[in-house]
Amino acid sequence: MTETKKKKHVSKKNKKAWRKHCDIKDVENFLEDQRLEERLGKFETKPDSEIFIIDTGGDGIKTEDEDIKPISLKKLRRSKLGEFPKCFEILLPDSKVQDPNTKRNTVKPVGSKPTAFSKLTDKRKYEKGIYQKKIEDARRNRKMALQKKRRAKQVRQNFNLDLWGKDLPDSKTIPSTLCDEFIPPQAQLHNVLPEQRLRQKPPLAQTLVTRAAVDVPHPGVSYNPSYQEHQELLQEVVQHEQKLIKKEQHLDRVTTKMFKKVTAAEKENQWREEMSEGLPKPHNPAEHDSESDGEYKAINPPVKNKKKDHKARRKQKERLLEKERLKREKIDKKKITDIYKLRKLESSIKKGERVREAQRAQRAARRAARARAAPPALSAHPAPAPAPPLVAPAQLSGDLRRVAPAVNLLRERFESLQHRGALAASKVMMKKKRKLKSYFKPGHKVTDQDVQKFIKNHNIEV
Amino acid sequence: MVSKKKKKYSSGEGAQFMTRKAALKKLQLSLKDFRRICILKGIYPREPRNRKRAQKGAGGIKTLYHTKDIKFLLHEPIIWKLRELKVYQQKIRRARAQREYGKMRKFLRDYPEINIDHIVKERYPTFVDALRDLDDCLTLCFLFSTFPSLKKVPRDQSFLCRRLTVEFMHAVIAAKALRKVFVSVKGFYYQVEFEGQTITWIVPHHFSFQPQSKDEVDFKIMATFVEFYTMMLGFVNFKLYHSLNLVYPPKLPIGFSSEKDKDLIDEQSYVSERIAAMNISPAKIEGSNEVEELPEIDIFPTEDNDPQKLEEAKLEAEKIKKLKTLFKGLKFYINREVPREPLVFIIRCFGGECSWDKDHFVGATFDETDETIAYQIVDRPSMDKQYLSRYYIQPQWVFDSVNTRTLLPINKYLIGAILPPHLSPFVDTIKDQVYIPPEERELNDPNFKPLNADSSGSEIEEASDEDKEEQNEPDSEDSDAERAITKQYQQEVDEDSSQDEEENDDDDLDPEKKKLAKEKKKSMRVTTGVTHKEHPYQKEIEDKQAFRLREKLVRKKHRNLYKSMKAGQEKRKKEIWLLRKKRRLHDEKIKDEKKAEKRKQKMQALEATSI
Repeated sequence: MTETKKKKHVSKKNKKAWRKHCDIKDVENFLEDQRLEERLGKFETKPDSEIFIIDTGGDGIKTEDEDIKPISLKKLRRSKLGEFPKCFEILLPDSKVQDPNTKRNTVKPVGSKPTAFSKLTDKRKYEKGIYQKKIEDARRNRKMALQKKRRAKQVRQNFNLDLWGKDLPDSKTIPSTLCDEFIPPQAQLHNVLPEQRLRQKPPLAQTLVTRAAVDVPHPGVSYNPSYQEHQELLQEVVQHEQKLIKKEQHLDRVTTKMFKKVTAAEKENQWREEMSEGLPKPHNPAEHDSESDGEYKAINPPVKNKKKDHKARRKQKERLLEKERLKREKIDKKKITDIYKLRKLESSIKKGERVREAQRAQRAARRAARARAAPPALSAHPAPAPAPPLVAPAQLSGDLRRVAPAVNLLRERFESLQHRGALAASKVMMKKKRKLKSYFKPGHKVTDQDVQKFIKNHNIEV
Repeated sequence: MVSKKKKKYSSGEGAQFMTRKAALKKLQLSLKDFRRICILKGIYPREPRNRKRAQKGAGGIKTLYHTKDIKFLLHEPIIWKLRELKVYQQKIRRARAQREYGKMRKFLRDYPEINIDHIVKERYPTFVDALRDLDDCLTLCFLFSTFPSLKKVPRDQSFLCRRLTVEFMHAVIAAKALRKVFVSVKGFYYQVEFEGQTITWIVPHHFSFQPQSKDEVDFKIMATFVEFYTMMLGFVNFKLYHSLNLVYPPKLPIGFSSEKDKDLIDEQSYVSERIAAMNISPAKIEGSNEVEELPEIDIFPTEDNDPQKLEEAKLEAEKIKKLKTLFKGLKFYINREVPREPLVFIIRCFGGECSWDKDHFVGATFDETDETIAYQIVDRPSMDKQYLSRYYIQPQWVFDSVNTRTLLPINKYLIGAILPPHLSPFVDTIKDQVYIPPEERELNDPNFKPLNADSSGSEIEEASDEDKEEQNEPDSEDSDAERAITKQYQQEVDEDSSQDEEENDDDDLDPEKKKLAKEKKKSMRVTTGVTHKEHPYQKEIEDKQAFRLREKLVRKKHRNLYKSMKAGQEKRKKEIWLLRKKRRLHDEKIKDEKKAEKRKQKMQALEATSI
């Protein structure tokens, strides 16, 4: 303000000169005030408590009797936990001015964008083979990591566990060391091994327990069997086969053979006859020849109601009575003789009963034996009956070198499992091939009309 | 108050069973997963006593499970794993549908595996239980070890099977546990004995893989069985190796790990490597000795103190002890046309050493030119070059020797000979009342002498000798031909002398009777009195009476059974007696004929000399 007293004529021609000689201090002061106000808030709006402080301590003299409890080091540290760390304070904006630009463009950090120079160096490095090496290293590392993973997976196949000794299969249960302290009893119960549970596994089915997994081989299946044993085996095979044939024959008898068979020609004839019933027949001169004239003649003569005379009736009656009398006499005679035969009859009845009883027992035993040997019925499909292995005599060469495969071992195993009741026999459901409906796209359809049209248009000689 | 009405099938057999569908619903699993977990846990469908009731009145035949079985399955931690797997499979499916093949491949690569070792422990609480159920396991593992990778069989499964089976065979070799072998058209039957449990399994003959038709066998199910069985066999192997003081896993040559499958080993070389592996003994645990031989059986007074049984058991133990060292110190050379795998396994099981053509297969330990080789196993009609120092035998000799538990005489098994039949060792020994021809009896126990030795004994011997002679004739290329000839000569001399004696007997009265008379004369002397001895005949009579009395005391309940048993015994005895008589008559007839022929020959010779 003091400088305004001095008045001197100066040029204010251009911007520079104008700035030099113009006094803008007041304006600047005002602006600074305004900015300060913006920063700290308006002076007038501030409450007194913020501007003024009540001086309670007096001027510079601290009282000694104020008892401040010394804070423990731990508490001090704790209290500092909530504070913003000092090292990062610099990152905080210190002004209260809001960023006038609400949406800033992101600026990529230096080095993220390849420059001309970096491009050059990259090219040089590539030519040197540094990158190639890096790629190979990376590949090797990846491979190693993968192998490590795979090996970790194969730990399962190491079998380094004494399962029937001290070791327990891990990870399936909570380790006993932890049980005392941390884990509640409910959780312990929940995670207990199945073998230690109260609920025991029910015993296996009898067929599974009693039937051998690998049957004792018939001595006739030897690669070089003795004659007798081989014949026994063949006999078994023959019996089995005979049973099958008998069954098949029975089925054939009760199904196919129950119906009359008609050839195609016969059927055609039958049809023709049936369809042309009642229609006038074509003229056949041979047929007409046999008939003498147009007179009607029945095939069987007419029935006559011829009455019997008295004598005939009497004779018939007498004959009947005589027949009856003879019959009665015979029965009476037999009654008398049967009295003497009584003991014999009794013994024969007893014998018959005994025989029938024995037969019944035998039948029951046979049924029981069959049930004992039969595969259990586990599903709607019955398991195939085990067939004795057929070793054809031609197959037996007698030396180990020329042994030929006779039995499908896998199938035998499969059937053994079924026979023991470990598997329910089932029909293999083949996937049906989906029938695709084929059609022409409307535009691509070629009909006969199109063909004709094409021929007509192009004047093709057919 | 009226009590609540009981619903039908809420107790009894109707509540005991559950259909498969209901089980699936209860366990919240798909059929595939259910099948898998059932096989792993050993839970099988059941056959009810009354099907109608068990199916709650429904007709037809449904697959039924025990409700308790299903409740037992509910506790299995693996069920949770299976449900997780379901989610994982969905991820894979999604990746495929989205055509994110990289992701899909990664998922497939990191497919989580289920650890089932606790199930093995649960199903077989003791080691003996596991051994008892090993038949099926071994047969399937040996079978799957021959399979290539198939659609439904995981690739590493057949590799694992190969490894585990070879390991098991090593354990058998180290324990010398093999007892019986039987070569059938199906394959090789082996029987081993571990901890008193006999385990029988079948190893198929080595053919190339035969494709299976789809409708015969469900491969998926069999693969699941094998999945469990490999786990079980692994732990059994571990236990066996440790009980034999061997290092587990043994170091085997390549070809048994799935990691090295990339360098494409062909089938032949793989097989030869497998056999070579068998020829090397696995490493022992450091500082351990040989497993001690089992001590002799101690006799404890038990409830049924049957001295005969004890004696039998003792004899059996002794026989087995002998069997274990059957081939000890013997060297075998296996020709290339012979199937090596079973032979190497068997020979090594009984302490023998073996080798083969080193130019054709790996793993040969000694050359063909080795002079210490005792036997060369040959399966062809003739050989160009033969060594004098060894026997050339056919492979069946090895199998039959093992089954009879002695080194059989080789003359029936020489090169080019027509082999005697290969009999099954699995014929049950319970049937003791069977007619056994004298030849077979002689085979079974070497110190068997025909019963009627005074007259027909020599005849039977003679007959058997003749049999041998007949069989000896075709093998003119016998290496020890000289020895055989000398033997024959001796036998003939013996026969002649015995026949001479018999002829003398005919002339004189029995010299034996004379001897007896002489002895009697000697004993007719006045001697000091001896204490009263029980008359053996008297005692026999008393015993018989006591036996009859005891028979009378058989309960009425068991009387019929006892009678039928006795009748059967008598019948069988009679049959045997009849057959024996038949045989005796036949032998006598043959002998007479022979004698007449010989006499004729002699006469002719005499006439010729006289003229």
